[in-house]
Amino acid sequence: MTGSITTYEPDNCLKKGYLSIFSEIFNELRKNTWLTYQLFKRNFLTIYKQSFIGILWAVIIPLIAVGTFIVLNRSGIFSIGSIDVPYPIYAILGMAFWQIFSTGIIASSNSLVSAGSMITKINFSKKSLVIASMGQSIVSFLIQFVLVCILFVVYAIPPSVAILLVPVVMIPIMLLTLGLGFILAILNGVVRDVGNMLSVLMTFFMFLTPVLYAKPTTGILAVVTNYNPLYYLVSAPRDLILKGTITELNGFLAASIISVIVFVICLVVFHLTETRVAERI
Amino acid sequence: MKDDIAIKVEHVSKKYCKNLKRSMIYGMMDIGRNTLGMSSHSDKLRKDEFWAVDDVSFEVKKGEILGIIGLNGSGKTTLLKMLNGIFWPDKGNISISGKTGALIALGAGFHPLLTGQENIYVNGAILGLTKNEIEEKIDDIIEFADVGEFIDSPVKFYSSGMFVKLGFSIAINIEPEILLVDEVLSVGDISFQNKSLRRMADLREKTNAGVFVSHNLLHISTICNNTILLDKGKIIFSGPTDEAIKWYTQYSREVEFNALKREKSRLKQNFYGRKSSGVVSMSDSGLLDAKGNPTDRVLQGEDIRLFFDFEVDKTIKSPFFSISILDAKNTICIWNMNDEDKVEFSPINGRYRLILAYKKPNLVPGIYKFNFALRDKVTCETHERIGELKPFVVDGEKRQHGIVMCKGEWILEKISESK
Repeated sequence: MTGSITTYEPDNCLKKGYLSIFSEIFNELRKNTWLTYQLFKRNFLTIYKQSFIGILWAVIIPLIAVGTFIVLNRSGIFSIGSIDVPYPIYAILGMAFWQIFSTGIIASSNSLVSAGSMITKINFSKKSLVIASMGQSIVSFLIQFVLVCILFVVYAIPPSVAILLVPVVMIPIMLLTLGLGFILAILNGVVRDVGNMLSVLMTFFMFLTPVLYAKPTTGILAVVTNYNPLYYLVSAPRDLILKGTITELNGFLAASIISVIVFVICLVVFHLTETRVAERI
Repeated sequence: MKDDIAIKVEHVSKKYCKNLKRSMIYGMMDIGRNTLGMSSHSDKLRKDEFWAVDDVSFEVKKGEILGIIGLNGSGKTTLLKMLNGIFWPDKGNISISGKTGALIALGAGFHPLLTGQENIYVNGAILGLTKNEIEEKIDDIIEFADVGEFIDSPVKFYSSGMFVKLGFSIAINIEPEILLVDEVLSVGDISFQNKSLRRMADLREKTNAGVFVSHNLLHISTICNNTILLDKGKIIFSGPTDEAIKWYTQYSREVEFNALKREKSRLKQNFYGRKSSGVVSMSDSGLLDAKGNPTDRVLQGEDIRLFFDFEVDKTIKSPFFSISILDAKNTICIWNMNDEDKVEFSPINGRYRLILAYKKPNLVPGIYKFNFALRDKVTCETHERIGELKPFVVDGEKRQHGIVMCKGEWILEKISESK
């Protein structure tokens, strides 16, 4: 007998105060790392299991998007802007970092809904579900990164040594995605419009952010880009690989701070409201 | 909380919303309030909400298993889910000392595309087993599930029996201090059920306390010390298991009887399987008490007096009545014909009341119905045949098994030592 007493009552967490929430969250995450890994494996295996080309889909989708842009650019409908590296490398690298955000948001916002009956029948860490769903976007990133490496060889362009720093520079975009994913998973659990809206918004945001084209210098899009944290989060690791430095370091740092703040707030909100989802999902 | 108490539930209530769109709005509001650190005022009902569990209090001592019984929708599962921490209560509080484990939904979380073996790992993790625990137990789980070579096939190719058997054998391998069980023992075929019951008994020895929800009164009476009876979210009885079961059978019989009466009155007259020549019309029928007034219940062991009011338009020369009493499962318990009772009636024409009295039939307590038929013995013509007329209840506290009660005299003699 451990003698530990668990109490359930209305507005449970509020009575404990905000400080103890952090240690609670930390303990929960640490205790459930293996569960998170199992849930990730479950997602990962099942997405590609009943499929012949399986994981290669992660490459096909960005290739088509990039191909479309090349066609649009060549025919003069859309101008990509001036880029000093071969466009496919620029674009696919951009897509690889971008889809961490887009795939991650879509997957995590659906994570609670698609777990459905599991949530209403078994008491387990729902944070693990959301975190595990992020794994999918990381796997697609790795595959797309392999494609980028092939392109480096094809074009005979050596990447900068700073490529080794990329995992660190990717942390902010992952925190931002996970944070927003927590909140969106809860909201989508209660109101399904959230999920539908997101898949539309993601396409819109991709065109709004200079992922497949160079940063515009004039016009409204230039202003929007200046205040778009996603632009800095995607372009920083890309710059690091292509140029060896982060060209807009201040922007990147600001965006990173925003990401950390968003992550912490969203994690706490998730912790406070996760049982609310079980009764409404 | 005192040391000898394992589970303490104090004035716990839980509300649900009947309307989906409103439920979405309430959900968003509650989330908003919880986020901002405001109370969600969960103790008040909003429009379209109702109490699914209403002011429930009980204690489970260490070493004790508590049973929960009640009709569908009485709040049993909701209560169990609150004990498990899946939902928060909206009022009151629950304290549990020790690690809880629940056998609530078997195979929830199984992914159809993963193989049995892969699902054991995932499901075990969800149920709270650690990696080492699963690796230690996996052979046992596979052996117990008894799905043979299918263990390496995707679960979607499993029969429904195999699916729940695998689910059960994972769940039964969590060895919690506090065990919560919801209606999972009636899984699989007979041999699997017996195996499960044995394992359940083992588990009972190992756990500190438990709560057990079931519709199977036999399981409840063998496993639980005390039992509570829930109705519409409220506790209507709490005490020793045999008393609770007595209450419950009486109570559920009343509910069934009322439902049956409503159904009959909606049909006005039950012409179930009616065959009529048009000569006879039945105006009323039913049960009479000792004073001759209509009634619909009788005590076990008392005389049962049935009456039938009918009108005959054309003379029936040799009336031949056939009347039978059926139990709730449509087994014919008593079947009388007037010629077999050596009674002959003269020709009839006009309005009549027929009374048939059964002398102390020892029917077991339950709900009964009766059939009526009138033929002409000379022409062999069936004039009226009506099935399942007004239901009535035989009240009593005794056992529910079988059709008739008969006191047995028991003798157990030892013949010799076994060889």
